[in-house]
Amino acid sequence: MPTQLPGAGPGLRAPRPGRPTPARPRADRPVTLTGLVVKIVLLGLTVGIAIWAAFPLIQTRAWTGLAILALTTAGLCYLYLTRRHVPAKYLVPGTLFLIAFQVLPVLYTVSTSLTNFGDGHRGSKQEAIVAIQTASVVQVPGSAEYALAVATTGDPATGPLVFLVTDPATGAVSAGDAEGLRPLQDGAATVNSAGRVTAASGYTVLNAGQVSARGPEVAEFAVPTAGGAIRATGLSRAYEGKAMRSYDPGCDCVRDATSGRTWTADPANGSFVAADGERLAQGWRVTVGFRNFARIITDDSISGPFVRTLGWNFLFAIGSTGGTFALGLLCALALHSPRVRATNVYRVLLILPYAMPSFAMLLVWRDMFNTDFGLVNQLLGLQVDWFGQSWSARAAVILVQLWLGYPYMFLVATGALQAIPRELTEATSVDGATPWQSFRKITLPLLLVALSPLLISSFAYNFNNFNAIYLTTEGGPFPSDNPSVGATDLLITYTYRLAFGAAGAQFGFAAAISIFIFALVAVISAVSFRRTRQQEEVYS
Amino acid sequence: MTWFSRVGWRHLVALLAVAFSLFPILFVVSAALNPVGTLSSTELVPTGASLTNFGELFSRTAFGRWFVNSLLIAGVSAAAAVFLSALAAYAFSRMRFTGRRVGLLALLLVQMFPQFLAIVAIFLIFTTVTDLWPGIGFNTPWGLLLLYLGTALGVNTWLMKGFFDTVPRELDESATMDGATHAQIFFRIMLPLVSPILAVTGLLAFIGTINEFLIANVFLTDTGSKTLSVGMWGLVAGERNNNFGIFCAGTLLTAVPTVLVFQYLQRYIVSGLTSGAVKG
Amino acid sequence: MRIRTAGVVAVFALALTASGCGGDEPAVKDSPKAAGGKLVIWSDDKRAAALKPFAEKFGQENGVTVDVQAISKDQQTTFVTASQQGSGPDVMVGAHDWIGNLVQNGAIDPVQLSAAQKSAFAEVALKAVTFNGQVYGVPYATENVALIRNTALAPQAPATIEELVATGKKLKAEKKVSELLCLQVGQNGDAYHLYPLYTSAGGSLFGTTAGGDYDPKNLGVGTPASIAAFEKIKKLGEKGDGALKRSITPENSIATFTSKKCAFLVSGPWAITDAKKANITYDISPVPGFAGGKPAQPFVGVQAFYVAAKGKNKPLAQEFVANYLTTPDLAVALYRAEPRPPALTAAFDQVKGTDPDLVKFQEAGRDGHVLPAVPEMAAIWDPFGKAEAAIIGGADVTGTVTAAAKTISNQIK
Repeated sequence: MPTQLPGAGPGLRAPRPGRPTPARPRADRPVTLTGLVVKIVLLGLTVGIAIWAAFPLIQTRAWTGLAILALTTAGLCYLYLTRRHVPAKYLVPGTLFLIAFQVLPVLYTVSTSLTNFGDGHRGSKQEAIVAIQTASVVQVPGSAEYALAVATTGDPATGPLVFLVTDPATGAVSAGDAEGLRPLQDGAATVNSAGRVTAASGYTVLNAGQVSARGPEVAEFAVPTAGGAIRATGLSRAYEGKAMRSYDPGCDCVRDATSGRTWTADPANGSFVAADGERLAQGWRVTVGFRNFARIITDDSISGPFVRTLGWNFLFAIGSTGGTFALGLLCALALHSPRVRATNVYRVLLILPYAMPSFAMLLVWRDMFNTDFGLVNQLLGLQVDWFGQSWSARAAVILVQLWLGYPYMFLVATGALQAIPRELTEATSVDGATPWQSFRKITLPLLLVALSPLLISSFAYNFNNFNAIYLTTEGGPFPSDNPSVGATDLLITYTYRLAFGAAGAQFGFAAAISIFIFALVAVISAVSFRRTRQQEEVYS
Repeated sequence: MTWFSRVGWRHLVALLAVAFSLFPILFVVSAALNPVGTLSSTELVPTGASLTNFGELFSRTAFGRWFVNSLLIAGVSAAAAVFLSALAAYAFSRMRFTGRRVGLLALLLVQMFPQFLAIVAIFLIFTTVTDLWPGIGFNTPWGLLLLYLGTALGVNTWLMKGFFDTVPRELDESATMDGATHAQIFFRIMLPLVSPILAVTGLLAFIGTINEFLIANVFLTDTGSKTLSVGMWGLVAGERNNNFGIFCAGTLLTAVPTVLVFQYLQRYIVSGLTSGAVKG
Repeated sequence: MRIRTAGVVAVFALALTASGCGGDEPAVKDSPKAAGGKLVIWSDDKRAAALKPFAEKFGQENGVTVDVQAISKDQQTTFVTASQQGSGPDVMVGAHDWIGNLVQNGAIDPVQLSAAQKSAFAEVALKAVTFNGQVYGVPYATENVALIRNTALAPQAPATIEELVATGKKLKAEKKVSELLCLQVGQNGDAYHLYPLYTSAGGSLFGTTAGGDYDPKNLGVGTPASIAAFEKIKKLGEKGDGALKRSITPENSIATFTSKKCAFLVSGPWAITDAKKANITYDISPVPGFAGGKPAQPFVGVQAFYVAAKGKNKPLAQEFVANYLTTPDLAVALYRAEPRPPALTAAFDQVKGTDPDLVKFQEAGRDGHVLPAVPEMAAIWDPFGKAEAAIIGGADVTGTVTAAAKTISNQIK
């Protein structure tokens, strides 16, 4: 296996004109016909899709979006019509999707870590004010419950709206608009048995479909009255209501009409707070700086058990990855022989655990570890409270991960073994090496080249394997004196409980912890990734 | 004992592994056949044998639709994911460019962010998308497909890059000398050589998509547009209701397409390399 | 270079054809919107199926399209997140204890019901959907746990929990059952099912304000009364009588009862379907309390319809929720889809003749506490449940309850 100096191979470093050194002759035969046709069709489709996508952007005047679209499309056309930037030609298609649907969400999440984003603080201040006002609308005491017909004086779709309301007590019909309520003359309107106006001279009564087509308009429509305003409840009823709380921009506060109590805006926390500290439930989202990060460090219910949780998290990730790899490889080796019959059947049966929906099987496994009814205790004749003790629970979740994950490693290892030329192993056995020696010296190193990147990514995946814990032990068993962190809690399940277990979700805080964990894993992965460089260069 | 050391141990390992694989599944089979559906009978052998649960699965739920939706979404996204990640893996394995290793690492790390936090951002993105292009918005298989393609590069690229690394460089070098373009090397030489791993990656992507729940749950709300995992979760997650029998029946049927795809891909996985092409 | 130019030209030619095919799509999509509006309803899977025919009928009567969609998991958070971003539904179906959180996020609007409409509902149901003095949802079903017993094994309803334990022990000694009581606990506890016993032993979750609302500032967990209550519960636990066990989980509790391994089950109306399917002869009575203790009060929960504050078609949503759902026919139909007692008194009266279980469940919930809807409740479930599981497993009561109370008050602040 010859090694080469890096860079001496086909020199495809981006800065150079992307022409491989020994490929001069290629200039004579620039592109094959098939290649050209495929390229043109694909680019044509891309531009076509871009044009299709542009119409709504133009309609809604989303010029930034349009600019991004145009630049991306132009960039793509340039990339595939030029000879330069060969690596980019291969990387860009996947990367575009990656940026749109993974990197952007991550960046968004990161940005929320500096805010108090969470339940009660999700929207803008304006939204909070609207919510407070709407929530305080009450029916004016003693006012009538009207039967409502929505009408217009003009075209049903666009004409000005009028509420034709019938007072059930008197049967009197009135017409209301932004000016106020004025009674209609007797006989000017036809009323049905339910009291609703079906026709009125000078007005077009809208049917349900027409009203709901103008839904948002109807919802906003209010007929001012002395005590408040008449608003619609649905399509057929109206009531006279009054918002008891309103926002006063002068004092930047919310005032209650009956009690006169005020709640002043607190821009640091995104809430309206009364003088005595009472806080309105509806708040808004504000930037809180590094407060979420500070909380991770200062809150001892978080930082206290952190080291122990981290230790178990590592053990879990290493145990799951290592265990599945060892078992998967063993099975793959066992079946990697032309002498074994019925390998197809074995293979299908072996991948079954992976083919079953994993959340379903996690629930099944959880039941199998039940003390009194579980299959594990029944079969082994034990009375072990598996999920009730720290180490048995830990062993159990790793066993479950082993079951769920080894078919994956089996498949990958089978693929990898197939890719190793048989001559290599055969050559060693001719030299008199035992199968074990040839495995150690030839097969395993080759396998590791192929699989070590995968092992790293598998480790990273298991490090954050939320479902594996959440659907089995839920982090338990919990020490009786601390219900916030359990023996099998991973950092991620622990985060989840902290962020969503309180009075509503705290996305900002959860994002901060995630960044914290992320930084940790990034360092570990970077270090272990560095070690793969040597292996990689054997081949490059 | 030469038979044992050559072949016998292989059967022994395989049989033990099969037993390990199958016994929880037997449990599911037993529950699926049990008319009073429960996940927690203590018996491995079915106590009652009836196909009621399977019947109810089709009559009471839109299982058929879910099945078709899942196959469509998982099939297309697996194929696309394999292609996209093979492209990227080729570049990462064969070319040297600035930011290569950083790119690889970034690819891994971006997967590390908890998805339950990303849901909010996904809503943000797709609310805009649905307004502008309802054809690829919420409740459409196409929107979900796009979203899944965002994860295509992640693990798959790492997996494939490892395999591309094992293909000797002499092969593409000599092809380059013969005047082949990089595209020809990729399509004509590399891809056939790594076909076992393409098949494996394809299968893994297929299974991954069939099982994906978190995103599909918020994305597909129309009963008719749901995938298997979302629909099936609905059977047991409804407040304190007890559909375990039907759920288990569904679980078993969910495994069927995966097994079929595996059967189909197995020949590529096994026959894969024409080892003659490689001289080490 | 000629080829390149030709390539660019060809690309654009193709592009124009392709976009020509796709270009008219948005126009097509726009047309149904204009017709009469659309009402989107979200619920869980089971209710979505039951609602569909009625929603469609409503759509036909009013000339609008109604779309019933099911959210399989995390309905509440999905609804809040989707609403916030503007892609939520117009009407949401869910448990009344969501109200506090939905209100603090401005996700739902109060529903203005007339006095006549209000009086048609059972008092407890209306109380449950009332939050800060406003009615936020239209209730359609109530639910609470009761003691369901296998009359073949235990003909008499036990008056106290001690009596139940004695009967259970006798049956177990006779090898007729393997468990004394099926009350789901699980490794992490279940506050909802334990609550009747907890209240009977003298415990509470929150104090109440003068107006009768729950007062989150006045935590009942961690008080001497709650510690005493847990001491009593510990005596029923694994180290005591063995009536409460962590191995009885939400998944196996009903199944253990239907397979005749225990004579008593604490569960709700949702368990009845299975009991009937398994041909168990059963009877329903209130969950018994401790001898000489306070009455055992279960939580009463209510399923309700909400009008989304950021829905695209609020008048239509209000019409559906406030004016259409308040008719008994729909309530009866929803009951037939899933047998939970209807919240409309008229509908309840209509079905109670054919279903005696309903009356018994209602009877069992008569003393019940409305499940608190304050957002702070979310902070209680988890630590309370874990404390319960630990104590049933035999942990020290004072230390465990104090730790749980500390965790809860840290979360509530």
